[in-house]
Amino acid sequence: MRLLLVEDDPMIGEGVRKGLRQEGFAVDWVQDGRAAERAIDNDVYDLLLLDLGLPGKDGIDVLASLRRRGNAIPVLILTARDAVSDRVKGLDIGADDYLVKPFDLEELSARVRALLRRKSGRADPVIQIGNVTLNPATHEVFLDANPVALSAREFALLHALADRPGAVLSRAQLEEKLYGWSEEVESNTIEVYVHSLRRKLGQDFIRNVRGVGYMVPKSS
Amino acid sequence: MKSIRHRLLVWLLSGLTLAVAAAGLRIYFQTLEEANALFDFHLKQMAASLPSDAFGPVPPPSLGARDLQDQLIVQIWDRTGVQLYFSRPGSNLPQRAELGFSTVITQQGRWRIYSAMERNNVVQVAQPMRLRQALAAGMALRSIVPLLLLLPVLAVLIWITVGSGLRPLNRIASALGERTPQSLPALEEGPMPIEVRPLVQALNDLLGRLARALESQRNFVADAAHELRTPLTAVQLQIQLAERAESEAERRAAFTDLKQGISRASHLVRQLLTLARQEPDAAQRPDVEVDLAEIARRVLSEQAPLAAERNIELGITGDDDVAVPVRGDGEALRVMLGNLVDNAIRYTPGGGAVDVSLRATQDRAEIIVADTGSGIPESDRERVFDRFYRRDGSETQGSGLGLAIVKNIADRHGAVIALDDAEPGLRVRVSFPRP
Repeated sequence: MRLLLVEDDPMIGEGVRKGLRQEGFAVDWVQDGRAAERAIDNDVYDLLLLDLGLPGKDGIDVLASLRRRGNAIPVLILTARDAVSDRVKGLDIGADDYLVKPFDLEELSARVRALLRRKSGRADPVIQIGNVTLNPATHEVFLDANPVALSAREFALLHALADRPGAVLSRAQLEEKLYGWSEEVESNTIEVYVHSLRRKLGQDFIRNVRGVGYMVPKSS
Repeated sequence: MKSIRHRLLVWLLSGLTLAVAAAGLRIYFQTLEEANALFDFHLKQMAASLPSDAFGPVPPPSLGARDLQDQLIVQIWDRTGVQLYFSRPGSNLPQRAELGFSTVITQQGRWRIYSAMERNNVVQVAQPMRLRQALAAGMALRSIVPLLLLLPVLAVLIWITVGSGLRPLNRIASALGERTPQSLPALEEGPMPIEVRPLVQALNDLLGRLARALESQRNFVADAAHELRTPLTAVQLQIQLAERAESEAERRAAFTDLKQGISRASHLVRQLLTLARQEPDAAQRPDVEVDLAEIARRVLSEQAPLAAERNIELGITGDDDVAVPVRGDGEALRVMLGNLVDNAIRYTPGGGAVDVSLRATQDRAEIIVADTGSGIPESDRERVFDRFYRRDGSETQGSGLGLAIVKNIADRHGAVIALDDAEPGLRVRVSFPRP
């Protein structure tokens, strides 16, 4: 899952990016409203973390123009503006959630997970596909109730595929979901992770659609 | 005596009573004087009309009222001093008298006596003075009694008038009682006595200033709380990252960040306190004569380590021996110049220079801080003095308060700040009026 963080304060930006990466999210970070708009136009993000008090273009304006252009990306506002009127305004203008600074990293990742879950149309925090159960909050994976040990990247890949069962994701799309800007991607990493996941969860769990990409079939 | 009503009542009534008493005395003495003239005339007439024949019957006196006649004592002597007649023997009157009018004091009081030679006899008529005094006193009393009876009526009138005159004050008091720190509307200026109007206007003026001061304090606190959230958020994030750190290196990196976050929060708190102390309403140290050149030297020696760390050439240009005196608060001026130099150093890339220079003309004293940084565009030059204003794209971490503090201190000293382009960079000129 790839997130775009818009935050002008370097210390907070760096901290949030680190913290969310530890949770297995790919995080890109920009420091002003205009850079945020350019990045959003790439259309690779699953969620936008938006500070309101931005230099250049204010967060509220970024959000408003985003929604005007019909972009439905989930938006979580991170701001020091805590007045009820500010929160109401933020939500009414199109934010999906609102978190006031200073916030707890655990709460931030929980809210991010909740928004992502809602986005893929699920209410159950646990994803169940066939005999595989996956818990995004704890990063635990079970195969028929037996725990399976996965690396952070393996889990991220599995989560990306399992989030939309039946949808085919290209290698490029998967790379985008796994890696932020500054992270080096080796040419065959996706294949390596897919191979390792198949070994742990069964050969048929991840299907290869030749020339298109990979998918996890909907459980029958 | 604290009540105006009481005081007015007591003083007015005392004054009136004194005035009535004075009038009574005046009437008394005036009447007495007139009575004297009149009665003396009567005495003279009486003496002239008495029969000179010592053995004749005493005719009833033809002048004066009965009681007056009763009080008259007549004596007649012949030339040899033999008493021929005494209308009331036994009275303690002098047996001989000078001719003409005289006043004698006897055991029965003072007597007015008139003696005259009538042919061969001396005739003397005496009358007690008491009579005249009683007449005058009666006259005086009759005049002042109605006035004295009016006094209670006047007291009631004064009580009522003063009460109604003071009623606007009660209205103001209860209107003021309704004011709270949250709501300080002006008092109504409707119809009121002209004596009360200046009070209401002064109060309204005060209420207005108070409301503005409270508003600015509230904004300041809200802004400050808002601004403190940012470094606190950074600190909280870094603590959590430190907790999660899996390796010693990660933990150390997290702690380094954490320390930075804390020093940033402390810097902001320090600047907030400085700003609060420099607010126009804050208690102030008395102004003294201070030397800007001395202050500049102190600030530069304080800032030298930061400049060295950033590889920036920092110094005073021009003649640094000349004193540049201004009137003001030396500590505040040091803070002001410190902020200007600190800003200049932070916004100047390594290898640049920050120059401080001083200039004194006939009526102004100027301190100029010039750097070789990127400058401030024309459009931002007003707003950089706003609290917490950060310029678009400014990368350097500051509290957003430095220039607001500079402005406050300059304003307090009646100094003018001008920003313009150095070649290249920013030149800040603070111009003080000369003492």
